[in-house]
Amino acid sequence: MERSLHKLAFPLLVVCLSISTILPAFSQDELSIKVEPENLVMNVGEKLKIKAYVVDKNGKRIKDRKIGYYSRKRRAVGVDSTGLVTAYAPGSYSLIIISPDEKKYLRSDYKVEVSYPPITKVEIQQVPNHIYAGTSIPLNIKVFDKMDMERKDVSVELSSANKTIANTDQFFNLHARKPGKTTITASVEGITGKLNVEIIENPVVRIELTSNAEGGRTGDVFHFTATALDKKGNKIEDAPITYTYHGVADDVSSSASGLVKDDGRFVADEAGRYTITASSGPFSASKMLQIAPRNVKRKLDLVGKGLVNDKHTSDFWIWEGVDGKDYGVTGTWGADGTAYFWDVTDPANIQKIDSIQVDARTVNDVKISEDGKICVISREGASNRKNGIVIIDVTNPRDTKIISTFTENLTGGVHNLFIYQNHVYALSAGQKYYIINIEDPKQPRIVSKFELDTPGHAIHDVWVEDGIAYSSNWSDGVYLVDVGNGIAGGSPENPVAFANYEYPSGAHHATFPFKSKSTGKFYTVLGDEIFPYGLNLNGPNVAGGFLHFVDFTDLENPEEIARFEVPGAGSHNYWIEDETLYVAFYNGGVRVVDISGELMGDLYKQGREIAWILPSAADGYIPNSPFTWGAQLYKGHIFYSDWNSGLWAAKLEPEKPENTKIQTK
Amino acid sequence: MKQIRNLFFLITCLIFSGQLIGQDYYVYVTAESEDEVAVIKFDGKTARAVETIKVGVWPAEIEGPHGITVAPDGKHWYLTMAHGNPYGTLYKYSTETNEVVDQTTLGLFPATMQISKATGLLYCVNFNLHGDMVPSSVSVVDPETMTELKRITTGAMPHGSRISPDGMKQYSVAMMSGELFEIDAFKLEISRTLSLDEDEKEMHANHQKMDHSQMDHSKMDHSKMNHQKHGMQHKHSKTKPTWVIPHPTNNKVYIAGNGINKILEVDLKEWKITRKFETGKGPYNVEITPDGTKMVATYKSDGATGVWDIEKGTELAKVQNSRKVSHGIAISPDSRYAFVSVEGIGGEPGSVDVIDLETLRIVDTANIGKQAGGIVFWKMEKGHQ
Repeated sequence: MERSLHKLAFPLLVVCLSISTILPAFSQDELSIKVEPENLVMNVGEKLKIKAYVVDKNGKRIKDRKIGYYSRKRRAVGVDSTGLVTAYAPGSYSLIIISPDEKKYLRSDYKVEVSYPPITKVEIQQVPNHIYAGTSIPLNIKVFDKMDMERKDVSVELSSANKTIANTDQFFNLHARKPGKTTITASVEGITGKLNVEIIENPVVRIELTSNAEGGRTGDVFHFTATALDKKGNKIEDAPITYTYHGVADDVSSSASGLVKDDGRFVADEAGRYTITASSGPFSASKMLQIAPRNVKRKLDLVGKGLVNDKHTSDFWIWEGVDGKDYGVTGTWGADGTAYFWDVTDPANIQKIDSIQVDARTVNDVKISEDGKICVISREGASNRKNGIVIIDVTNPRDTKIISTFTENLTGGVHNLFIYQNHVYALSAGQKYYIINIEDPKQPRIVSKFELDTPGHAIHDVWVEDGIAYSSNWSDGVYLVDVGNGIAGGSPENPVAFANYEYPSGAHHATFPFKSKSTGKFYTVLGDEIFPYGLNLNGPNVAGGFLHFVDFTDLENPEEIARFEVPGAGSHNYWIEDETLYVAFYNGGVRVVDISGELMGDLYKQGREIAWILPSAADGYIPNSPFTWGAQLYKGHIFYSDWNSGLWAAKLEPEKPENTKIQTK
Repeated sequence: MKQIRNLFFLITCLIFSGQLIGQDYYVYVTAESEDEVAVIKFDGKTARAVETIKVGVWPAEIEGPHGITVAPDGKHWYLTMAHGNPYGTLYKYSTETNEVVDQTTLGLFPATMQISKATGLLYCVNFNLHGDMVPSSVSVVDPETMTELKRITTGAMPHGSRISPDGMKQYSVAMMSGELFEIDAFKLEISRTLSLDEDEKEMHANHQKMDHSQMDHSKMDHSKMNHQKHGMQHKHSKTKPTWVIPHPTNNKVYIAGNGINKILEVDLKEWKITRKFETGKGPYNVEITPDGTKMVATYKSDGATGVWDIEKGTELAKVQNSRKVSHGIAISPDSRYAFVSVEGIGGEPGSVDVIDLETLRIVDTANIGKQAGGIVFWKMEKGHQ
């Protein structure tokens, strides 16, 4: 029996081992794809055929293997199923060639070089009619190739035929030395563009410089006007004028920084003495300014808090209820879909009076109608993926009731919303906003939508004031849309965009309009949202980004003119009333900022910050980790919500008489 | 004779030694409302999250990791993030480090995907869940360079998608237009389309019964009707197919008819529906055991999972899941266990229920982040018992 056992064991083991070690008929590793020609160099517009096939290790062609050709950049170089390659744009590209096989597919990456078309034209453009000796002007040089495409990837060499008349520099400036003629030549790959210039005698003998004031405070904007005059006292209108400044700060440890614009506007950051100089060629004139500290500091006292310490808090709104008392609503973030209602009549004794839970993970935004009767909250992360908005009766904030849930076209999640004149402006999946009529809150109905048509557009927020909807669209910036103002014939049913401004960082997250009573200017304040270090859900965080002040007084030519940036912190939501800004700077707490008068430059450096406060709660959801979401001025108190601790209230102390020193934090 | 039996036992032990000394199973599962992916380890008795990977780039937004797949060679896993600005993103991670290797932008709400072993290409549906009811697409991506090679237009809200066993066909179902699409994975074009709506003919017949003579078409403003855009959208699919899975051997695919509480069997040779399985409420995902004997389906609205004998067409068991919203399924290569992701509601965590396909009972449940969704089997390893 022992023998028979051994007799059986061996064949069985062989069978078992064989099952796992059966070799394929041929090794796929010995096969490869061969392509003819080996290299492909093409011109734009050209079509050439390549042929790929599978070979064994000896280079012998394997029959009946399928070959597929695929382009990695099909708008630049295309390839069809037969291997016909078409070049659309210059550059280095690659095709992927695949021979499919159930056991192991073969793949080859094939390089295609599409040559840049030759340069055909170099132009020196926009040269002024008069070039005065002793002045400098920038040269605008354009290079074009055979496809009539402008080329910015080429190196331009610039020279002057007579450098004693005029010479050039590496930054493409022309420096006019003395009267006479010369030829400026711009060369690229042997193609040249020439410009004959005549330098004429500079008639300017004197610069007159005036300003709208002799002195002021940091942050005040001064307007300098320089006039170039000839020896007869005539104005030389086209004489190029450059403004510069230097200064000495009162505080010897500070730099006398500031900003001067090409049109003569100047603002100082530091107290001290500044000299502003206007130059035209060898002539110049200077004026001095004495700048005093802005001296707007005040104390901001903590009044009360409504603690939320079992989840993150999001946005909030404070309003006067129909009973005359004051109430607040706060949302929650990344939690269980709860919104809390508060009695804030006594800001020193904020009381949680009710809550509503909806099917959501985040109630990011909460808003109240103008009459204080309707609350609308946003939903994200609903378990049935039908997010949308929830409309709540807050006539009695102690007994709130859901009136309706509206999800049509909003299933992708509503991140932000706004209520204005019986309409809800609700974002949809970060792509567009819908305008929803809630005259009958039980039966909301969409009346229109607004969506950009730019490639890859996205939206983060919308705010409505005076019949204008301000949408914040990340890299597409702010869009001003007439939804009833009349400026562009728009209405809620027919939103009409009429102005736009975008800035390079693409971090545009929120907008607040600001009409400056003291200057008559119209600004939009555009806020970034940036998390340079990510977001730790269970610990402290540091944000980045700042507020961009854009002068929209001329709607067709908006000018980004000022910024408010807190070092080491990042902007989020904010509120403006009269000429004061209340802004949440995440880990930097609430900042109160003087935005009176004309604005220009770095408002923080200018000492325009009036006060700040940090909502730090030892018993917070994340203890002692201020991360302020937003701020709202309401009946003299500053309310603010904090991601890690809930709802807070503070009060600004009255202004002190001028020159009174106060102790600040 | 006894000794022979012992010998067989010994050899069986050698072959399946992993099971005797303990077998560990690993799956990746997404938490859609947490922006996390968890690695679940199951040792035959206990399931637990052994690693949690934070995913996405927008800290204050929910980006929604939805679809997940592992490359055939097991070296990388791929993740679709549904929400972007506005387009979603496909991420490539290393299974060794669970760190991002590369990424590329796809269409609106990219969802399910798989890599063909025959072409090496990745095929991903762009679900466009929250968009207009217009045809969406399947993106074909070279996973080596993470380049989108082609976008193939299919139906409205394509969700479930899987590759045929030979790797040469990709099947997807469009939830709102009620269609099954077969894409030639090599030519990158649609080879066949099948309408899955049972009442389509009836609807068509009803339309024929309308008395068009009573309609004054001349007074209708057809210019405002946008027939081109809505031409295919006169109806929403009643079937609402949410998933399709090819059988490993029988040349059929199985489709979750989420709207009709049925699973449809489509014969690929005849290209028609050949069987219908009456299921629990809201069948959502369907998988088939590698040995081809059992079909596992989540019933999303019931919070349950059904296990079926495919050949007999009978439901072997309806297993109540640990939470209320059952979602995805991954089955172990030994056909022994089904790993079912269960979303949860509101602040509830998501979970993964491990169902023993022999005993038809839940063995254990592992909790993960909120809204557990996409799930994929990663690997089996010998345990250390």
